[in-house]
Amino acid sequence: MIILRYVKLPSENFEEFFNSLKQWGEINAPVKQGNIYSFKKVDSLKEVSLDYTRTMLPPKKFFVKPRDELLKLKEGKWEESNGTKPVVLFGVHSCDIHGLQILDKVYLDEPVDIYYKKRRENSIIIGISCMPDEYCFCKSLGTDFAMTGFDLFLHELPDGYLVRVGSVKGHEIVWANEGVFEPISEEDLKYFREFEEKRANSFKRSLNKEGLADMLDLAFESPVWKKYEKICLGCGNCNMVCPTCRCYEVCDLWVNAYEGVRVRRYDSCFMESHGLVAGGHNFRPTRLDRFRHRYYCKSYFDPSAGFNCVGCGRCDEFCPAKIEHVKVLDEVREALK
Amino acid sequence: MLKLGVFELTDCGGCALNILFLYEKLFDIIKFYEIKEFHMASSFKEHDHLDVAIITGTVSCQRDLELLKRVRNNSNYVIALGTCATHGDVQGSVEGSIREKLEKVYGSRANPMKALDSKPIVEYVAVDYALPGCPYDKDEVYQVLMDIAKGVEPPKKDYPVCIECKLNEYECVLIKRGIPCLGPITLGGCNAICVKSKVGCIGCRGPLPKEANPASEFEILKELGYDEEYIRKKFKTFARGELRW
Ligand code: SF4
Ligand code: SF4
Ligand code: SF4
Ligand code: SF4
Repeated sequence: MIILRYVKLPSENFEEFFNSLKQWGEINAPVKQGNIYSFKKVDSLKEVSLDYTRTMLPPKKFFVKPRDELLKLKEGKWEESNGTKPVVLFGVHSCDIHGLQILDKVYLDEPVDIYYKKRRENSIIIGISCMPDEYCFCKSLGTDFAMTGFDLFLHELPDGYLVRVGSVKGHEIVWANEGVFEPISEEDLKYFREFEEKRANSFKRSLNKEGLADMLDLAFESPVWKKYEKICLGCGNCNMVCPTCRCYEVCDLWVNAYEGVRVRRYDSCFMESHGLVAGGHNFRPTRLDRFRHRYYCKSYFDPSAGFNCVGCGRCDEFCPAKIEHVKVLDEVREALK
Repeated sequence: MLKLGVFELTDCGGCALNILFLYEKLFDIIKFYEIKEFHMASSFKEHDHLDVAIITGTVSCQRDLELLKRVRNNSNYVIALGTCATHGDVQGSVEGSIREKLEKVYGSRANPMKALDSKPIVEYVAVDYALPGCPYDKDEVYQVLMDIAKGVEPPKKDYPVCIECKLNEYECVLIKRGIPCLGPITLGGCNAICVKSKVGCIGCRGPLPKEANPASEFEILKELGYDEEYIRKKFKTFARGELRW
């Protein structure tokens, strides 16, 4: 357990602090690209969109890459093709920190995913406070505040940031930069509390978690799934952008006549081959099965592991059919009455 | 050495040419294949039993049909290459019977060239692998030929354009710019190259097999303000009437 330490980063020292992070690794931060945000390598603070809503791809992409070359086939032998360099993820929202912790359970439990582990150990996570937009529902899932899973967490103040230190590495960063920090004042704490309260009152969506697993147990044949089966395109966008989706596909590609690479990429349970097993049997042969399955995976699949949704709102924002996660579950619940 | 033939029926020639655009990678292919016929590459021609035949184009005349049958009957593994061969493409999407079309263009219903209604080859013969695209991504045909050469059955793609669009982190032009994009209902494999240039997918690879949902795509485009006729035309450009709603 890390002894919590709160310090203040005054606005005038913000840039100096930001630049000092370069010595810990390559800084990646949310950057505006057209009408979306993306975590990208940045060189200066002015490239960063500190007030971003959500990036299209979650920070998961640094640990499980959308396309990831795992092995190289050279002279008849497979070689590891991964080099890992230290990265600093700057400006991660609370829901995404929770998302990474859910992924940790999957990728760091036996059997450990060595690629994920190496990258996770080589990363620094700097959180930042945010205000919800019309898609966010993290508060109802308890993922709106991170107690662990970060090295430093920056909370907006009128004249700087209140910084929570969350790890040994976080302490090291603060120690190495003592000069840029100040002790926090009563007033800072007061503002911090007010900000959190204002934020808590700004949520427009909330997911009713009550008895969700039991509810879904009873709702397997719900007409609501059938209604949405007709609207859903089966495009898989919701999976591709989800911070907790962990499915991947592995395939071998030829580079030349005798050399190849083994690549994994994000997969989606909306795809036909996702539920296909030997002998041609498919666990989820129709769009109805697949649509329903995603909700079970997110809310129920393994009750002991908790929810697999952090309420980030990505699946809603990036669904071409404008299907809304919370609304679907509300309708399913309603139809049982 | 495997024996390979590349055959063109009626098409623009682009799909056969695209194989030559593999440039130096062609040398990898000829390490495993002996080319018995490929008229765009060489005048050499040797009628033989083939291990692998690549066929591009639609069946649009009697000559196409006869060639197709001969190749199928003499080849172990047939690849339908390009959207003409797999779905009929633009030629296949022209409505009306061949006699009506002849009359419209030539003023006579006579058919001396024995033209047929343009259809994809998959409607006449069974193929072992169908690789659509107008044109396809040349690396796809490279991977397929290399897999076959190594005794691996080439995997069939099962995902729409949206998947590769997201893997590349392209901004969604449908959601964020209101540009009509057929990505959600179109078979992927192109690496979302159109969206890379900020234009919507035009559906050149044909519908995602089995689970495409054109009815919902239709509603989405209608809501964006595109009229029904426009959407109908867009849907059938490459895939004839296959996208019904
Ligand atoms: S299911 Fe949707 S809201 Fe929940 S974590 Fe995934 S993308 Fe975010
Ligand atoms: S099964 Fe589907 S919803 Fe669950 S993690 Fe995999 S892709 Fe995501
Ligand atoms: S993004 Fe929307 S339309 Fe696409 S598969 Fe997910 S729920 Fe269906
Ligand atoms: S731009 Fe087109 S292909 Fe890309 S995610 Fe959006 S709808 Fe799909």
